[in-house]
Amino acid sequence: MKPNKLKEGLRQVLTAALTIVIALAIGAILVQISGNDPLEAYQALFQGAFGSKQRISEVFVKMIPLTIMALGTSIAFRAQLWNIGGDGQFIMGAIAGIIPGLYFNLPSILLFPVSILFAMAGGALWSGLAAWLKVRFNANEVITTLMLNYIATFFLAFLVYGPMIDPLGGDFPQTPNIAEGYRLFLFSDKLRIHAGLFVGIAVVAVMLFFWRTSLGFQIGLVGQGKKVATYSGVSVKKTILITMLLSGALTGLAGWNEVYGVQYRLLEGVASGYGNIAVVIALLGSLNPVGIVISAFFFSALLVGGATMQRMTDVPYAIVDIVQGLVIVFIIARTAFHWGGLKRILKRRGQNA
Amino acid sequence: MLSQIFTTGFFVSLLASTIRLATPILLPALGQLYTQRAGILNLGVEGTMTIGAVSGFAAAYMSGNLWLGVLGGMLAGVLWSLIMAWLSVNMRANQVIAGVALNILGGGAAVYAYRVIFGIQSLPPQVEPFAALHIPLLADIPVVGPIFFQHNILVYLSFILVAVTWFVLEKTTFGLKVKAVGENPRAADSKGIRVGRVRYAAILIGGMYAGAAGAFMTTAYMNLFTESIISGRGFIAVAVVVFARFLPVRAMWGALLFGFASALQMRLQAMGINVANQLMLMLPYGLTILALITASKKADFPGAYAQPYSRMER
Amino acid sequence: MSRNKAVFRRGPLAPVGQVTLAAASGEGENAAMENIVVHMQGITKIFNGIRANDRVDFYLQAGSIHGLLGENGAGKTTLMNVLYGLYQQEEGTVSIRGTEEKISSPIKAISLGIGMVHQHFMLARPLSVVENVMLGRKSRRGILLDTKETAAELSALSDKYKMNIDPYAKIWQLSVGEQQRVEILTAIYQGAEILILDEPTAVLTPQEAEVLFGMLREMKQDGKSIILITHKLEEIISIVDEVTILRDGRLIGSQAVGPEMTKEELTRMMVGRDVLFDFPGPQQEAGEVKVRADMLCAVNDKGLPALTDLSFTIRENEILGLAGVDGNGQRELCEVMTGLRPLCGGRYEIGGEDLTNQTPAVYIRKGIAHIPEDRHTTGLALGWSLKKNLVLKNFKKPPFSKHGLLNRKALDEYWEKARSEYQIKAGSGDDQARALSGGNQQKVILARELDQKPTVVIANQPTRGLDIGASEYVRGRLLEARNQGAAVLLVSADLEEIRQLSDRIAVLYDGRLMGILPRGADPHEIGMLMMGKEKEELPNEAE
Repeated sequence: MKPNKLKEGLRQVLTAALTIVIALAIGAILVQISGNDPLEAYQALFQGAFGSKQRISEVFVKMIPLTIMALGTSIAFRAQLWNIGGDGQFIMGAIAGIIPGLYFNLPSILLFPVSILFAMAGGALWSGLAAWLKVRFNANEVITTLMLNYIATFFLAFLVYGPMIDPLGGDFPQTPNIAEGYRLFLFSDKLRIHAGLFVGIAVVAVMLFFWRTSLGFQIGLVGQGKKVATYSGVSVKKTILITMLLSGALTGLAGWNEVYGVQYRLLEGVASGYGNIAVVIALLGSLNPVGIVISAFFFSALLVGGATMQRMTDVPYAIVDIVQGLVIVFIIARTAFHWGGLKRILKRRGQNA
Repeated sequence: MLSQIFTTGFFVSLLASTIRLATPILLPALGQLYTQRAGILNLGVEGTMTIGAVSGFAAAYMSGNLWLGVLGGMLAGVLWSLIMAWLSVNMRANQVIAGVALNILGGGAAVYAYRVIFGIQSLPPQVEPFAALHIPLLADIPVVGPIFFQHNILVYLSFILVAVTWFVLEKTTFGLKVKAVGENPRAADSKGIRVGRVRYAAILIGGMYAGAAGAFMTTAYMNLFTESIISGRGFIAVAVVVFARFLPVRAMWGALLFGFASALQMRLQAMGINVANQLMLMLPYGLTILALITASKKADFPGAYAQPYSRMER
Repeated sequence: MSRNKAVFRRGPLAPVGQVTLAAASGEGENAAMENIVVHMQGITKIFNGIRANDRVDFYLQAGSIHGLLGENGAGKTTLMNVLYGLYQQEEGTVSIRGTEEKISSPIKAISLGIGMVHQHFMLARPLSVVENVMLGRKSRRGILLDTKETAAELSALSDKYKMNIDPYAKIWQLSVGEQQRVEILTAIYQGAEILILDEPTAVLTPQEAEVLFGMLREMKQDGKSIILITHKLEEIISIVDEVTILRDGRLIGSQAVGPEMTKEELTRMMVGRDVLFDFPGPQQEAGEVKVRADMLCAVNDKGLPALTDLSFTIRENEILGLAGVDGNGQRELCEVMTGLRPLCGGRYEIGGEDLTNQTPAVYIRKGIAHIPEDRHTTGLALGWSLKKNLVLKNFKKPPFSKHGLLNRKALDEYWEKARSEYQIKAGSGDDQARALSGGNQQKVILARELDQKPTVVIANQPTRGLDIGASEYVRGRLLEARNQGAAVLLVSADLEEIRQLSDRIAVLYDGRLMGILPRGADPHEIGMLMMGKEKEELPNEAE
């Protein structure tokens, strides 16, 4: 029945909005405490995100990798696989993705598919490793993916300080730039928004249908419970592996996007904490593609605006982190509230039976 | 170069460093022994340590007294973990996500607090860290002395806490309650034990240790505060607890193992062996994964691990 | 305070259905009031509208062993949980040693000298015996544990009753029988003079049961009063002094157990004679053998044998009822037949094809329907919509999936069809399964399992927890499946249901097949097999 779905969707949006409002309100208080004017701060934030064409394009530039990553994270979360390894998978995707660009001599037409494949494979391998450890040894995926984050970060440092360093770069820990012809074309000379936007849109489009595929159904079923999944004939182990591979592949793609669309090279900090933000976006968006896109937009605006806010005012950027953390806390507290309420309703029903 | 490695001097400083570097992992791990034994998976240790780090640093800086710093860290840790306790016990929320959330929140809150308290300064504020405390007589024994008896007092205290933790868990009524609550909360409930209260206590104790460990980082290990001062030690501590099968002495060995890996990396780097310094940096984290693999058989976890408890009729 | 006297006539058997306890009005002068340690009057306990106990009276004499007998769901455990303070009764009173008490919690019960040993032990496995005993008790040494003192006291008690328990042993190191003794020891240590044991021999071997009974006799000599909840007739006869029989939440009668008491008499009281037989429709001729099980062996979650040398067949157009008290291997049998548990021996054929030890997906493909015992964690994805739950097993196949994409329209249509055909009461197909009543949830499962015209149906406790209307509906559907050619295995602890629906009745006891009876077999004949009596031992008709 359509009306029900609409009601449910509306309710999700409203609670999400309420969560953000409360978090921002608390942020405002913190701004006040730090000796700044909240109105001024939020104004700077808003201007920083939407104040000009250039600003808005920045928001979209950030939105692309965040959306893709959050979508990847949501795949794992729906199977109740807590993949917190976004940063690591992003980095491995970036590394794998840049290799064809730097070392193969391919015509542009071929380069893009090849590098995309490499990047997705890199990310998938990294998360697949954690999946294998879980399936084979029952190793907690939260810790393994987190540890793999650090390992990937150091691996990247090793590469950009060492074997992959730009010989003409003056000792800077970064790789050479990829060739001009390989870079994703820009929509305009003055804006940074690039063709990666198409990739992002494509991913969103695919994900809109993903949960309607039988694979999506299978993944969700495992998330509903291992017992009912096994009972239904689904191989839980295989599903865990596939889920994590997909999740990592998407995150790796986000890494590809960063290299070929924004940075044009590898350097330390290429992931810049996107992994955590992706988790927040996924949760705020209730793990569904539409919600994720909206949340990604909001958070990209928050990040871009926040950077401006920090430059223009004395407000510390850390407030942005605080708002993020508060949002998750409110979400999980609210989820528990819902279940509590639902249980009460069921009890009443049962007694009237 | 090789001849440089195999000298007594090298080994002595290596082992001494091992002990010192193990401390910021041992302390939070000991605290987490209570928490995890009570059946709670608190991944927010990292954030709690960061909060403890900034609080401890601020308290020490402003009072001029390092011990007040440690106390400040502990207090901050307790207060911060109240949030985790509320989410896990009262809200029965997903403990994994709660932990991740508190890490993000903790990192941000700590940096924010630092900015508000200290503002932006060209030279980062520093404190005079805990000095090395030479134990009279023992410190002078060749080889053994420098390895074991020339550390700052917090290091000594941490290792003493290993014995204390063992004692509390094994020999007191509280320790018994903690273990029962993590193993079979329903049975504990049926014997009149307040499951929620015990879990709160276990989480807060964990927070206290984590806060103290954070303060250790800023007042003893280093002498200032940076955003990334904890760099994953909180997570390693969580893994050490799993690896230690929830036993204090094994946790000590686990922490020492990581301390060794870190110490080795630093020693080799200091000697100019820059070969893949970053690869060496990976060591502790890779070790954690290995440790997790060996320790994750289902049978070793408390019966009610990471599962919210609710008393339901029938 | 009225002088309620209990009258226990030791002697010839009393007629069925007659309450032999005279209440109020002071009749009978055999027993003085002081002899009654527990007196429960008019206890009514309601769960979700179902009367688990309906105005039940119960007496316990001091220094006796009193058996509480009845089938699954009769209300025995519920009644004792009221006595132990785990449940509060809706109506009725409880008096301990003559004084009316409000037993609000187990702590209160313990303080009154009541101890209970549950079917599922309340023990923390990695801790030692003495640690488990010390839990929740005030230590003599303040915050430090008084381990040594407690251990010494436990050893003394253990020796007294010949329990052979080492107080420092860890629970996981002990056998199930020993763990049970730990529970009993704990209760006695806490000062229990009244001991409630819930199906204690359910987890024991016959030898361990003998040891247990020896202990109970010792305790009785010591002046303790014991309530034994059981469904096993041998126990009633061998060790019990008085028996109270419950059926469907009501008291059937209380009786002294003298040497003349027979199993037949008990069974008749337990199972009842006033069962209406509704042989639904003309009997079908059973077809070819569809399912052949040969010497099946399986092990349960604890590693103990759950199925031993189990052999049977099920034919097309036939319902094979599997009778037996819960916990005798039924769950494990259904799991091995659907791939959810491995077989450690034996052969399992369907339609002539060897399908031993396959994955669940294989059985699903071969058209085996499984209505699981556990609706909630196994049979349904509670957080999902009803539409999705209907296709859990065949979402990959057309028409539900085309080119890997789920066909929404097909799902919608399927839901509409299922809803009308099975009369599922729900707001819409998009409602969460969680929101439905038990009966409707079961209908969803039925719709899913039976709609594909399965060749084999395994129904495990299909009407458990359902009200009468829903139960009748489910039974009707199972019959329909049988009529359409399916080979149905009906596992149920409800004997009436088994008798109503089965073409043949197999009885499972302790993981073994005790016998297969034809339709229309006498309930107490079935009952005896359920209690473990071998078929050959049945007395012949002319006695």
